[in-house]
Amino acid sequence: MKKKKTFEKLLKERLERITKAIELKEPDRVPLFDPGGHLIAKYSGITSYEFYFNYDKARSAIVKWLKDFPFDSSFSSVIGAEGFVFSVAFSNYPDIAPAIRFLTGPMHDVLGDKYTRWPGRELSEDIGSLQFIGGEYMKPEEYKYLIENPIDFINEKILPRACLNLEKPGSQKTNATLLRLGIEAIKFLGFLQSTAMDLSNIGIPSLNVTFAYAPLDFIGDFLRHPTGVMLDLRRHPDDVKAVTEALVEPIIKVALALKPAGANIAFIPLHLNEMLSPKMHDEFYWPTLKKVIVELYNQGMKSLVFFEGDYTPFINTIKELPKGWGIAWFEKTDIRKAKEILGGHTCILGGIPISLLISGTPNKIKDYVKKLLEDIKPGGGVILSSNIALGLTKEVPLENIKTLINTVKRYGKY
Amino acid sequence: MFENFIKAIIDLDENMAIKLAKERIERGEDPIKILDDIKIAVDEIGRKYEAKEYFIADLVMAGEILKKISEILKPALTGKTIEKIGKIVIGTVEGDIHDIGKNIAITMLEGAGFEVIDLGVDVSSQKFVEAIKQHSPQIVGMSGLLTLAIESMKKTIDAIKEAGLRNKVKIIIGGGRVDEYAKQYVGADDWSTSAAIGVIKCKKLLEELRG
Repeated sequence: MKKKKTFEKLLKERLERITKAIELKEPDRVPLFDPGGHLIAKYSGITSYEFYFNYDKARSAIVKWLKDFPFDSSFSSVIGAEGFVFSVAFSNYPDIAPAIRFLTGPMHDVLGDKYTRWPGRELSEDIGSLQFIGGEYMKPEEYKYLIENPIDFINEKILPRACLNLEKPGSQKTNATLLRLGIEAIKFLGFLQSTAMDLSNIGIPSLNVTFAYAPLDFIGDFLRHPTGVMLDLRRHPDDVKAVTEALVEPIIKVALALKPAGANIAFIPLHLNEMLSPKMHDEFYWPTLKKVIVELYNQGMKSLVFFEGDYTPFINTIKELPKGWGIAWFEKTDIRKAKEILGGHTCILGGIPISLLISGTPNKIKDYVKKLLEDIKPGGGVILSSNIALGLTKEVPLENIKTLINTVKRYGKY
Repeated sequence: MFENFIKAIIDLDENMAIKLAKERIERGEDPIKILDDIKIAVDEIGRKYEAKEYFIADLVMAGEILKKISEILKPALTGKTIEKIGKIVIGTVEGDIHDIGKNIAITMLEGAGFEVIDLGVDVSSQKFVEAIKQHSPQIVGMSGLLTLAIESMKKTIDAIKEAGLRNKVKIIIGGGRVDEYAKQYVGADDWSTSAAIGVIKCKKLLEELRG
């Protein structure tokens, strides 16, 4: 019988597997990423509330999960909501800007933000996922201030409007809230580091990520609500365009803040992309997003972009990016077509519909994954995962996860 | 005769569409006729979405225009009987509080001539069942953005079955994460990821019901 490989060896193997795939080469086999999600809480018998609010419990749950379901890497530690507005607000302070990229449950308690809803708070304790709902925090008439000085406007107007406990700048309450936010940020960073350490001790590497954002999404998610920005594109097109341009620099600053600590991949989740017409996409969305990605590439950093929805109509725009720019995580885009068009240029991530993982039988999953691998494996530059980040809901049967892992191990070999 | 009005809506020319609606009301025109024109416009917008000429951002604008026009028509419509093409009960399922897609769907369904009963967000299966008993709709629409919504949709449809109401209604699920797998899993009759296709499919379901 083959001797059990040591965790150290596994860690090295997996890291090499991932690195090669990202570098558009053929590793020993196709890597499989754990997309994360609150299934992990259920697996350890804790509620969603405990998972999001108790870092110690979350840490043990994540480690237990990956011990039993050994993926090649994992996004499970992302137990926060979109909080990039805070990173941009503090983008001139690289020591703190990246630390508040995610709003965690305890940070939500501290801030009283209106962007997010949490299990055990606004939602029932075991409802599943936290929910980001955003909101409208400025009027279109205020775009001019945002264009003039986005950082000041966000600090002075947006944060006080979006967070109950930052309502009155300079007040005792606001100052105390900011101090508390700092304390929570340190706790969360501690959680991220210790979880990554635990995982590497069981042979599972973590990506060294930093964070960026598509400027138009920033307006939709944190300032004007997606509906608002979509209407603004017709009613105030010049203002919207000017704001997206003004946001490029602070966004790049946030992403580069973690570079000295070794971060080499900037995670960029897209939201509005597929909702726009190709004309709007090409005029308002893509140019500044491209600027962010290309500038990071020039600084030696790749991007990991989650293309929400069906990006098929826009897929050729990705080819405008320099070869080896990074990883494209697709949701409903035809992944075979994506591989055909982007192979040798872009590393492709995703491929397994979350609805299949929820509703499929192990046999159905095996067939699906086997066929998918046959089609997209050749030539390398491919990583499998579910089609949505953090998509593993409580309803995904565990045998389906087991089947997924085993199928990729068996049929993913080069 | 009112091609300009219809065209302004289809072209998403907000100012023109509203100006023309106001003019027609001021001229004392029968608002029912204006509603009929809106139906034509909604059909064409749906067709354009299907043909990938329009995208979600266009539907958002269309919804906004329809909402504004219906505000303009409201006073003129009081006391009039409006014939509806069908009745639909709609809501975001339990556990999910997202409603952008649902709200566009409602505006477009109303534009297409449906009577829409909106149950809001985070709607329990019990509430859906009660609403079906109370309103006797032909169609039930369940919306949700999150993956967890799929499980809630299944629970809701199971509850509708248990209450013996499943064969009384057609069920359509909608939202960013639904697809054919999800439809089969939850036991719905159809699915849609957009308001525009949703309206087209609701009309088809209505036809199926009427045989």
